[in-house]
Amino acid sequence: MAAKRRSLYLYLTLVCFFGIIAIFIVDGYVGIYDTIYITAGEREQKVESDVWQRNDTFWSSGIAREEKAFIRYEVDNRQFSRYEADVDVTVWRMQEKVSDVLSQRIAIGAFDKVYVEWTIDTAELLPPDAPPEQGFDYTLTIKRGEIERNIILNIDPYPYPVIKTVPAPPR
Amino acid sequence: MNIRLEYVLFGFGILFCLAGVGYLAAEYVKNLSEAGKLVSLLLTVAMFAFLSKYFEDIGW
Repeated sequence: MAAKRRSLYLYLTLVCFFGIIAIFIVDGYVGIYDTIYITAGEREQKVESDVWQRNDTFWSSGIAREEKAFIRYEVDNRQFSRYEADVDVTVWRMQEKVSDVLSQRIAIGAFDKVYVEWTIDTAELLPPDAPPEQGFDYTLTIKRGEIERNIILNIDPYPYPVIKTVPAPPR
Repeated sequence: MNIRLEYVLFGFGILFCLAGVGYLAAEYVKNLSEAGKLVSLLLTVAMFAFLSKYFEDIGW
């Protein structure tokens, strides 16, 4: 009787252990995971999918004025079925759409991944009369099916004040 | 010092297993949902409780 009970404890321990492993596989690995890589100023920032799971909707990234940001969006399909979705990328400022960057349909096979790449040119985003000492924030919205990822792109002001040269008065 | 070589190897094996499981847990725990984390925690507590009872029964 005691030996039977002992075995029962051991079996229950094993059941719990394999239960934990099953949760890690089903809940922690299987699914659709997206990662965003932002390269600006020769630095690459990586926004991993766990950022979105923590409900950190926004991730700020600084871009120097008159430079470009190169953005790579990786979608990893860790499912046994094929995954298809529309990816729409737009830039917003003060609740108004500034530009449509990209619209593309992606199709990913089981346990495969795809990359979508685009470039954000700060010269195209900024208004023509933008003061050089002012920084600007834009929201980059990546919509994949029903899922929306928002990233705040911070366009830095010029590091030094621009000296305006006044032409010499005619003699 | 009369430790058998097999026990040393078993010890290494157990250590490597624990290290591997620990590494995978650290890698994937960030992808777990809140419910998954809670159930994993409960199962971990239950696992150690049953293991303790097992060792208690065999006289450790």
